[in-house]
Amino acid sequence: MGSYLQYLSENSTELVFYAQQHFLLVGYSVALASVISLVLALVLHTNQLTPPSWRRSLQVGSRETALLFASAALTVPSLALFGMLQPLLGLGVTPSIVALTLYAVYPVLRNTLAGLSGVDPAILEAARGVGMGPVRRMLRVQLPLAWPVIISGIRVAVLIVISIAVVAAVINGPGFGKPLQDGLARLGSVNSFNEVITGTLGCLLVAAGYEIVFVVVRRLTTPRGIRV
Amino acid sequence: MSDAGQSPMIALEGVSKTYPKQSKPAVAELNLQVPEGAIVTLIGPSGCGKTTILKMMNRLIEPTTGRILLAGEDVTDVNADQLRRRIGYVIQQVGLFPHLTIADNIAVVPKMLGWDKRRVASRVDELLHLVGMEPDDFRDRYPRQLSGGQQQRVGVARGLAADPPVMLMDEPFGAIDPITRERLQDEFLEVQRQVAKTICFVTHDLTEAVKLGDRIAVFAARGRLAQYDTPSEVLAHPADAFVAEFVGSGAAVRRLSLLQISQLELAQIVISGAGAAPKDQPVLSVDGAGRPSAWHHVPGSERPPALVTVPLSGTVYDAVDVMLDGRAPVVVVVDDDGRPRGALRWDALVADLRPNGQLR
Ligand SMILES: Nc1ncnc2c1ncn2[C@@H]1O[C@H](COP(=O)(O)OP(=O)(O)O)[C@@H](O)[C@H]1O
Ligand SMILES: [Mg+2]
Repeated sequence: MGSYLQYLSENSTELVFYAQQHFLLVGYSVALASVISLVLALVLHTNQLTPPSWRRSLQVGSRETALLFASAALTVPSLALFGMLQPLLGLGVTPSIVALTLYAVYPVLRNTLAGLSGVDPAILEAARGVGMGPVRRMLRVQLPLAWPVIISGIRVAVLIVISIAVVAAVINGPGFGKPLQDGLARLGSVNSFNEVITGTLGCLLVAAGYEIVFVVVRRLTTPRGIRV
Repeated sequence: MSDAGQSPMIALEGVSKTYPKQSKPAVAELNLQVPEGAIVTLIGPSGCGKTTILKMMNRLIEPTTGRILLAGEDVTDVNADQLRRRIGYVIQQVGLFPHLTIADNIAVVPKMLGWDKRRVASRVDELLHLVGMEPDDFRDRYPRQLSGGQQQRVGVARGLAADPPVMLMDEPFGAIDPITRERLQDEFLEVQRQVAKTICFVTHDLTEAVKLGDRIAVFAARGRLAQYDTPSEVLAHPADAFVAEFVGSGAAVRRLSLLQISQLELAQIVISGAGAAPKDQPVLSVDGAGRPSAWHHVPGSERPPALVTVPLSGTVYDAVDVMLDGRAPVVVVVDDDGRPRGALRWDALVADLRPNGQLR
């Protein structure tokens, strides 16, 4: 225990750097995935409202198909995905963010679609009945009411991506994957165990940081009338 | 009809609606005219097309054939959203926006119409007063902090917000408990006395239809208009067997609620101590303020019965109700100050009430 604390203090600058990297890697990926999912969900949700005859010719545009693709991405083993992206995007930050974004899309997309279709139809009908057009209805009524569900999808995405992000180390990606992998490769030698512990605890630390962020964001962005 | 001459506020001309993939129309060839300033109650069995008819009026549903005119203008000639901002719409599920305060809920249409802040705020307060809710108490609350009855009052206020000439109401009080519902109905009539809108009010409750409607439109399956007339006409002279059955066995009792006590000739009452009384007239004791305190003598009763009273502004239904409740053969009719104006006798009521609801 004493030696671990000593290890921490000796490597503190490096560890803070890893934490920063990991935090930002997750942040960028999930933010990107959220934007993609939100746009996709709005298109798909609107598409769901178009006549079935149109939809049949746009089968790819159905929400089931989109969810299928997104969940397929989630089941690709992370090690393999990073490996496959390497020939296309090389090493380092860019392929790491791309891969993690692919993983983050499913939870956000799924929750956004669920949140949007979970809004009480009577409320949407009332919105139509008072003369709100489709855009106003979406922005002023449906999205705000779906927001708590959407944000919990984003939170799940963050948690998933925090742990997957360590795999980014195989393509020289940033974050706690680096010490973790170094440690695992040299198990038994000096400090290797400390490195493994640090990678693991580091992930927990980043997760805790995000939990705090979410408490604040949820508080600030959820309309008071629907806060539980 | 009595209001011919004046052009109707809402006119449906040969309106039909066939939903996609349905072989039979939900509403077929409907003609209906709603005069300005009137409450028309639309009633009929579940699934007969009442909601469909109402939603065609504000184009939430487009008719398959026919024309709908609002103040003489074909509704399909105007943008649907703009049309709806000119028509108040109140539904059973209320549909208040849970993430907005009561004030913001009511302000939705005025804001879309571009009213300035001050005008919106004063309108909100005015409407909250109108529906009997203290603005300072309720303005900043959220819908979930309100009871069902209060939510529906806000729903009505939201419908009235931009002062639309027409209100469409789809079973607005249908999900409210009976006691609150009756109070909402009374308040609603009071509001209508002040705002005088043209109102289409869907209900499946005949008592409600009779109480609120200047006219009742009785619908049979597939939106067939079986009868369209005043409540007392519908109750007294059902147009066909369907209406007769729909109006049902309670028709005679329901008609009592249409008959104002003030329209009747009341039996004379003698105040006790005011000199010799004719043997066949009831004698009443009064207190210092001239209000009835007890029966002194009632012809035909050995011992004076319990004293029950009913206000002059009430209906015969109310009179019968208090007589049954107090097991009294006679009820004292009192004015606003509580002073006796006459009496209604049970036996005379039963003997003289004609099928058309009038007393001989
Ligand atoms: N969107 C719809 N698609 C198909 N049929 C419908 C739709 N809405 C209503 N109907 C049918 O039209 C008829 C009239 O419905 P509605 O107007 O809701 O009746 P009411 O309000 O009198 O109970 C019913 O038989 C109902 O099943
Ligand atoms: Mg209905």
